[in-house]
Amino acid sequence: MSAATPAARRFTPARMLLYAILLFFAVLYLLPLYVMLTTSFKTLAEIQQGNMLALPREWTAAPWREAWGSACIGLECSGVKGYFFNSIQIVVPAVLISGLLGAFNGYVLTKWRFRGHKIVFGLILFSCFIPFQIILLPMARVLGILHLANSTSGLVLVHIVYGIGFTTLFFRNFYASFPDELVRAAQLDGAGFFRIFFRILLPASVPIIVVTVIWQFTNVWNDFLFGVSFASGDSAPITVALNNLVNSSTGVKAYNVNMAAAMVAAVPTLIVYILAGKYFLRGLMSGSVKG
Amino acid sequence: MSFLHIDDVHKHFGETHVLKGIDIEIDKGDFLVLVGPSGCGKSTLLNMIAGLDTISEGELRLDGRRINELHPSRRDIAMVFQSYALYPSMSVAGNIGFGLEMRKVPKAERRAAIQRVAELLQIENLLSRKPGQLSGGQRQRVAMGRALVRDPQLFLFDEPLSNLDAKLRVDMRTEIKQLHQRLGTTIVYVTHDQIEAMTLATRIAVMRGGELQQLGTPQAVYDDPNNLFVAGFMGSPSMNLVPARIADRDGKLVALVEAGETTLALPIVRDREALEGWCNRQVMLGLRPEAITDPTSANRDGGEIFEADLEVELVEPTGADLYVVTRLGGISVNARMRPGSPPQPGEDTRFAFDVSRMVAFDPESEARIRTAVDADAPVQAASA
Ligand SMILES: Nc1ncnc2c1ncn2[C@@H]1O[C@H](COP(=O)(O)OP(=O)(O)O)[C@@H](O)[C@H]1O
Ligand SMILES: [Mg+2]
Repeated sequence: MSAATPAARRFTPARMLLYAILLFFAVLYLLPLYVMLTTSFKTLAEIQQGNMLALPREWTAAPWREAWGSACIGLECSGVKGYFFNSIQIVVPAVLISGLLGAFNGYVLTKWRFRGHKIVFGLILFSCFIPFQIILLPMARVLGILHLANSTSGLVLVHIVYGIGFTTLFFRNFYASFPDELVRAAQLDGAGFFRIFFRILLPASVPIIVVTVIWQFTNVWNDFLFGVSFASGDSAPITVALNNLVNSSTGVKAYNVNMAAAMVAAVPTLIVYILAGKYFLRGLMSGSVKG
Repeated sequence: MSFLHIDDVHKHFGETHVLKGIDIEIDKGDFLVLVGPSGCGKSTLLNMIAGLDTISEGELRLDGRRINELHPSRRDIAMVFQSYALYPSMSVAGNIGFGLEMRKVPKAERRAAIQRVAELLQIENLLSRKPGQLSGGQRQRVAMGRALVRDPQLFLFDEPLSNLDAKLRVDMRTEIKQLHQRLGTTIVYVTHDQIEAMTLATRIAVMRGGELQQLGTPQAVYDDPNNLFVAGFMGSPSMNLVPARIADRDGKLVALVEAGETTLALPIVRDREALEGWCNRQVMLGLRPEAITDPTSANRDGGEIFEADLEVELVEPTGADLYVVTRLGGISVNARMRPGSPPQPGEDTRFAFDVSRMVAFDPESEARIRTAVDADAPVQAASA
């Protein structure tokens, strides 16, 4: 194709209209983020008199400091930082363990087929379609029996159980197109079940690992229902803390602090998208070039 | 005692009976080629030898030892796969050395072994590359290197050349043959390509529908086929198969073949005793294209030549040879003649039949009609 063609096409009226529409929606989509960010850097006085869309006249980091370290949540006034680390403590093991289990499931379901493997996969898949609300009561009972009620470990367990269906689905579909002959070659080379998984399959799974991490991380980090049901009080995740912060402010609503706290809650998922998204694209590209 | 003994081996996949009792024995240093149309169970048999598929019935013995229950990694067997199956995230050196690493061979020794194999296959400059950065032929070499480095008792190849283009396929074929001659290894090689089978094998096993049709040297399978299937499958252009009637002409056994208005009476030379019982019955005659020639190219000291004038239907020059097609028994028959002055289609020309190479088949059962039913018997009249 000649270089002139795409360049010429870029400036047709239809193209211009398309870009205008896309730009409009992008702005619309980013507007709340913009308002949150600017509000979080304004003083309360400025918010009360001022224009919501204006930039801060006087930039201040005080709302961020307060949200992080001294805002009152319920009766305690030490900000969201404790809950932020709660969320980290929940999300890291939940993502790692559910991802690893899903990878193992996918490996076994495609490369070590057993009688009834289709039924097992069907059941695991079915778990993806069970609504959150249905499992609340049985899960509370199970956590009670396991003495894990109101703890971060309990919440980790809930997220692992709920996540396995999705992670298994991702890895099974990825490994289904992974050649069986590689596994057979490795068997002849003397590698066993775990060696084949860790040396042959896992290093070739970067794209699907990234998809799984993004999916699990955002789901677990953003979860509110499980958090509020199974881990109230000190072990609550940041989403629950944010809700309590907004609801427990007495007197005047400190919008700037609330916005700063909301930004703190949103930053980790943004970081995961920015970091992993790059690897995700790279994984897709290398996959398309090989063979 | 044979080196590899496949003893009445069966394979069932659920309800389907894929291998129906395969018996093959080969000696150390043999190059056995399993050949047959796609889906006949060649890969299944190879996988069973490797230990990647279970054996439903029968026994597998390697060097006198039963290996049915032995884990693939303990059979001392290496395999080259059709897709090469190179580990995508490892370098070429990593791929070749993986089997040694799993067997806990020390690093220095491993490196030396990789180097030795890389030199043998001329891939020293590729050792640090990833499989994704290699061409088809290079991947093929790496896959062979991975098998060679372990120095196993037995090599298995599953259609290793089928993913290469025609030119490279011929080159690699020659290379595999040279490798076998140089290293004296025992090889079981699967292909659906009968030319590959003929050129590489010391022993050919022709398979169809999960059954062994014939086991023998390439020449035996070619000249002395067990049945119509083997006769038609091996050789290109394929053997002419012409309907005929066996008759007794003044005490001489002949095969009567309809040729236009006339009838040819081809004298029976091979399998005469067996064919006596077929007097006045229909058979299927088999004649290789090179056994029907012009009179001057006929091989007169090989055996008996029968000559006849027949109408030429079609002429196909290939450069080296000239294929002349005529009609016998209602079938187009290929004859290989000397190139030079080709006869014209529609004209008559003289054909010389080397009847000592003619074989006959039962048209019902498709089995060969022969006197000695020993597939391994030396070929009688026919010699190159
Ligand atoms: N895992 C399996 N389950 C069921 N049928 C199979 C399986 N593997 C192979 N088959 C069947 O066995 C037959 C022989 O297959 P294969 O050995 O691959 O043939 P070839 O290598 O000669 O082309 C085919 O009909 C195939 O469909
Ligand atoms: Mg096959």
